[in-house]
This record gives sequence, C-alpha cells and structure tokens, in this order.
Amino acid sequence: MSQPSLARLHDAHKHFGKIAALDGFSFEVNRGELVALLGPNGAGKSTAISLLLGLQRPDRGSAVLFGDEPQSIDARRRIGVMMQETNLPAVMRPRELIAQVASYYPHPYEVSAVIARLALESLADRPYGKLSGGQKRQVQFAMAIVGRPELLFLDEPTVGLDIHAREALWRVVRELIHEGCSILLTTHYIEEAEALANRVAVLTHGRQVAAGTVDEIRAHVSNKSILCRTKLAADEIRSWPEVLQLSEESGRQCMVTKEAEAVLRRLLGADATVRDIEVRRAGLAQAFTEITSSNSTSSGSLQ
Amino acid sequence: MNAGHSTMNRSRVVAAYLGDIRFELVKMIRTPAFAVPTLLFPLMFYVLFGVFMGSARGNGAFALYALAGYGVFGTMAPGLFGFGVSLAFERELGTLTYRQALPMPAGSYLLARMANAMVFVCISTLILLIVAATAGHVPITFGQAVHLLLVNVLGVLPFCAIGLFIGSLVSGQAAPAVVNLIYLPMAFLSGVWFPIEGMSKVLHQLAPLWPAHHLVQLGLGAVGGPTVGSTANHMAALAGVTVLFYFLAMRRLSNRGFQLLGPARGGGTAAPLRRALTVGLMSIAIGLIIAGVMGGNAPRAVANTAATSNDATEGNSATAATDAAAPSGAPVGVAAPEVPLVADFDQGSERSRYGLGWQAGGDDMRGGSSKASQHLVDVGARQSRAALEVTGEVGTAIQYPFAGTSFLPNGTENTEFGNQGYMDYSAKSTLSFQARGDGQTYTVMLMGPRLDVIPSMYGFVATADWQEVRVPLKDLSGLDLQRVRLISIGTSTPGPFRFQIDDVRVE
Repeated sequence: MSQPSLARLHDAHKHFGKIAALDGFSFEVNRGELVALLGPNGAGKSTAISLLLGLQRPDRGSAVLFGDEPQSIDARRRIGVMMQETNLPAVMRPRELIAQVASYYPHPYEVSAVIARLALESLADRPYGKLSGGQKRQVQFAMAIVGRPELLFLDEPTVGLDIHAREALWRVVRELIHEGCSILLTTHYIEEAEALANRVAVLTHGRQVAAGTVDEIRAHVSNKSILCRTKLAADEIRSWPEVLQLSEESGRQCMVTKEAEAVLRRLLGADATVRDIEVRRAGLAQAFTEITSSNSTSSGSLQ
Repeated sequence: MNAGHSTMNRSRVVAAYLGDIRFELVKMIRTPAFAVPTLLFPLMFYVLFGVFMGSARGNGAFALYALAGYGVFGTMAPGLFGFGVSLAFERELGTLTYRQALPMPAGSYLLARMANAMVFVCISTLILLIVAATAGHVPITFGQAVHLLLVNVLGVLPFCAIGLFIGSLVSGQAAPAVVNLIYLPMAFLSGVWFPIEGMSKVLHQLAPLWPAHHLVQLGLGAVGGPTVGSTANHMAALAGVTVLFYFLAMRRLSNRGFQLLGPARGGGTAAPLRRALTVGLMSIAIGLIIAGVMGGNAPRAVANTAATSNDATEGNSATAATDAAAPSGAPVGVAAPEVPLVADFDQGSERSRYGLGWQAGGDDMRGGSSKASQHLVDVGARQSRAALEVTGEVGTAIQYPFAGTSFLPNGTENTEFGNQGYMDYSAKSTLSFQARGDGQTYTVMLMGPRLDVIPSMYGFVATADWQEVRVPLKDLSGLDLQRVRLISIGTSTPGPFRFQIDDVRVE
C-alpha cells in the first residue's frame, strides 16, 4: 500500500520493571482495514494500544498516529476509543456522555443519529449507573464512534453483550469499514476476528509471532479436522497414530490430524458404513492456540 | 496529512470547555455525597451556631464571626472533595485514562472542576449571606457581601490544589477518609467553627500553619470583623499553598502517566527551561508560605474600616501593641473584694461599690453613632429603693455598634481605656443582676487585656418584669477571669432601647 499507515508501531520496546511488555513489536493499521490484535493475556496487547493512544511512551522504537505523536490533540481528533475497563459517572445519562465526547471533535455525528443507529433510544436518558454491563458497552461504543473517527480503537468491544447486541455491533463495524473507517480490534473472541478482520496479528510475550490475513494465519497451521458418523469405538480411533485429538461434535466424531488423507484411508477401510464425512481446515481458534502455545513456555490459553 | 480534518474552529473549542464545566456541574449536583456537605452543612451549622447561639442570644459578634467561619467551611469542601475524592476514584477506576485518550481541550479537566468548585462556593456563601442578613441580623453592607463572596470564590483554589494532591496520592477507597481527616481538624484548628484565641494558646499560635486560618482572616476582614495578621500575609500563604500543592500533584500525576494539562510535547530543549521554571515557582511558593505563616497571627486592633486592615503593625494604638507584646504576660488583676455586691443604686448614686462605674456610653469613641444615657429611677427590683435606667439608640454607622452602661472593676478616673487595670475574678463564678426593659435582647460583654479579640458575651432578654440574669463566668468562651478589664451591659441591635438594672453582684 502506497498510502502511509494511520497508526504504526516500529520496533517498540516497553518495560515495566524487569518485565518486557513489548519486546520489539512492529505493527501498522492502514486505511480502510480492520486489524485484529490477538494474543493471550499479558502478551502486550494493552501496552501496544496504550502506546498508540499516547497514554504511554515506548522506551525504544516509535509510535506514530496519523504521522504525528500519539499525544497530539490533532491526531486524537481523528480517532475514536473504546477501552476495556471504563468507569463513567453513574449519575450521567448516555445522551449527555455521548454529547460530551462529541463536543471534543471537529465534525462529529449528531448525537441523536448515533443513538438511533445503535438503537439506544430506550436507554439514552436513564442514569448510566442503572444500565446493565452490556448496555454500558453499547454506550461506550456510541461514544467511540460519535466523533466520526478515521481510526477506531476497539478493545474487547463485545464482552458482556448478548448475541443480538453483538450482531448489531458487528453490523455497525462493517458499515463503518465500508464508509472508509479503519479499525484496530483486540478481542478474546476468535470468531469475532474471524468474522470481521481483514488482517490479524498474533502477539505473545511482547513479540509478533504471526501476522497476515485470516486465511494466511489458518494456513500456518497444518491441522485439519475430519468429521463423520462412524460405528467405530472412540478408543480404536484414538489408537491411530495420525489422530492427535478426538472429540464428539453434535453426534459426529471429530478427529484432528496433520495427515487427513491417511486418516481417511484408515477410516474408510475400517468402517464401510461411515457417512457424513467432512474435512475442515483448522479454524482461527485452533490456529491461534497452536501458534501461541508453540511460542510460549507457559500455557497459551485464551483466558 | 489532511490538516483541515483535525483542526477545530475556536467557537467549538470554547463550547467544549463550557460543555465540560456544565457536565461537571450537573454531575456534582446529582451526587448527594458532594452536594450535601458542600451546600447544606455550612448552612446547618451557621443556623445552629451563628443564628441560634449567636444572634438570638445577643451575641451579634459571634454571628458575624460565624459568617466568615462557616463561609470558609463551605469553601473547603468543594475544593477538597471535588478534587481529592473524585480524582482518586477516576484515577483508580480508569476513567482518567480514558479521558486522556480523548481529544479533550488542554486543561479542560482541571478547569471544569475548578469552575465547578467556584460555583458551589458562590452558592453556599450566598446562602450564608442571606441567612446572616435576615435571620442572623448581621449588619452587613452590599460591598462587604461582595467582598466576602470574592474572598471565598478565590479562596477555594488552595483547597482545590490540596485536593488535587490528595487525589493524586491515595486510592479512591481511602480518599474520603483522608479528606475528612484533613478537612475537619483543619477547620477546627483554623477557628472555622469558633475563634480559637480563647481556647488554647498553643493552638492559637499554630493556627497560621493551616491554610483555612488565613482564609478565615480574609473573610473576617471582608465583613469588617476583628482580624489578626495582614491581608498581604494571608494572601501570600494561600497563594503559596496553591502553587506548591498544584505542582506536587502535577508531578505525582505525571509520574503515574497522567498529563492533566495535555501532553508535554517535544521534551528536548524545552525541558531544562521548564524544570528551571518549576523549581523557581516552587521556591517562591515555599517562600510565600513561610512569610504568610510567620506573619499570619500578628495581632492587630479591631479594624473599624477595611482601609486599616492592610498592615499589622501600623496604625495600632500603643495600648494594643503593648498588650500584643505580652498578651497573657500582663499582670494578673487585683483580687476581687470578698463582698459580692457591685452596685444596688440604693444610696442615691449611680456609682459602683468599687472600680469605676457605672457610665453610660455609646460607640462614638470608635466613630459610631450609638448613644446612651442613664439615670436613677425610684423603686428597684424586690421593692428596693432605686434602680439604674439606661436609654438610648444604637446607630449603624460602624460594624459592632454598641451602647449601654459599663463598669471597670479596677478602673480609675482620668485614665485612658487601654491603660485601665484588671480585676482578678478567678475566685468568683457568677455575675448576676436584676434586669427589666422593653423586651429586646441585650448583651453582657466582658473584656480582658486584649483589645483585638472579640469580647466574651452573654445574651439576655429584658422583659417587662424584673428578672434575675445569671452569667456563668467560668463558662464564657475566651474570658480570662484573672484579668477582667470591663463589664458592659447594653445592646448592638440598631434602634432605640430602654432597660433597667439593679443589684449587680459577682460571686
């Protein structure tokens, strides 16, 4: 891409005491793309975001936002922010909270238009403190987008949302991308990255361990899943050396393997009645688990 | 880069600042834990102490003192709580981090809270002024009211700075306790509730260490009350406290990654200059505080006009200066006679049995327009032969008007008031006398060596029938029983008055 990136970390280092939160991380967000930053807790995602938001400065390397220091108010007027843990004054109403944030931007959306877009009319005039966790997240999302940002930071945006609200938020995120907004998303929900992201960067121990499109990341992983209905006993399937894992998924056996062809030959040979066979490439979740655990001495779980 | 997209026109920036102020104000009004102590407590205490125990009992001087005192009480709260508690919580809960990521105009966070504190102070002081002028019968001019309002509205700044420092230091959970631990003792030690001159010599001498003391003195000066220290001293101390705590708080916050004034850009060449400037300002602040504290308690005579309140030493009468040099080092008065009777007026004379008295008088010596005269009338209390009647009119030319009749227990003719001797009444416990009159409230006033403190006072109502008034001398605040210079019975309520006394005793 010839255009300069909107947000960019270059060889960023950040230490807290002896712990290296970021250890030479380079990363960028370009116009019109949604980049998902994945990684286990403590991987350095929050630190990376906070360098780009100008809340901290890198010990070494650089953080650039719209070609400027992230602390610059001009740069900040072009971004919208939804943080992971934000406590807002309980006595204020969502309409007032959104209006206050709107007042900081040069060309914000109409407050009422944002409320309508996110279907928040019924809670816009209730005290913020009386809202449920999911409703609060929706209000925070409204606050993040009201400034008509060119780049939106979303840190775990759908935690606590029900399926309906999550779908609604995803719809708006897709619309924003379509309108030319860029988004940097951090999430624990792999399917969220899978559903929304053009590009994924995986971070462990302050370093990038994989990056690319969702498909590219998947391709990193040679695992495939074979699903089928079979009369073979689970123990027998487990005894095959090619099968790494076995589980049951809605009445079908699910075998994880690196050698799908060999497993299929065995399967067809051992059970002539086998049916409903399906071979899947690994999901992003599996890919993620594999990537982070192979780069991690500790457990690379998503929690 | 597309600069046009991120530049904001001036009117939108101004609107953002104003919006933040309005936002904070609405937030605080909806927060009872803030609004109640700020607006209701000073009013409640003033009605309780200033009106019921002050004005209603004839202690107009205390009603005036309390106006300044509780005004400061109401000024400390919005600064200390608004910054201390809210900031600590917002820092801890991540709100401050979030706000920093927003393109909030520079300094708006501080400005909105400061403006908010000022609005609250303005309201609480206005309420006190209205109550004082109506229910409290405190004679106060429009100019004095405006002066007090100004003193308090600006006086909130040092408490904002102290609050900011607390908020930068402690956790949200601890903040309310820490703020109260500073707020309430400081209020007491600074004489916010009661003048501390009479309570303890040590506490009195330490008072200039507390910022609230200086604000109380400025408030008293504003409404024409008796003050110590010079205006310049008090302003220096308060300005120093504001600058010092502001910088300490900012440094603390910036170490924790918070730049409340907006980001410090560039660093590099500007840094040494900024550091030098900070060090310079801090030194000046500390210098101001020291100067203010050192001179913050210098006694001075009761200020009759605001014009004389500018210097501690100039313009004081020689006597006041002498007293000030050794306020309680003054010799103990002569021992009071065994006989309790001071005067029964039955011998056909207005004279007291000892000392100098009784003498009718107004406040003309202090430039006032109050007048009084006295004469004997036939048939006193309990069918005695005679009583002393005092009539006159209290004018409003000066603060603290007073007219009535006075008795100097150890007084002598042809001696200046400031050189009159003292009587040691420490063996006695009660001043009693018979009184009747026109149904108004009157005041018994006792003065010691110092002329620069509020006299000890006791109020009573002179009803149509004779009644015995008993003044518990040991319980009067601020009274040095070993050194009683003057006992006056009279009134500060503007207008005509008439009362009679008989059978005055100290026993």
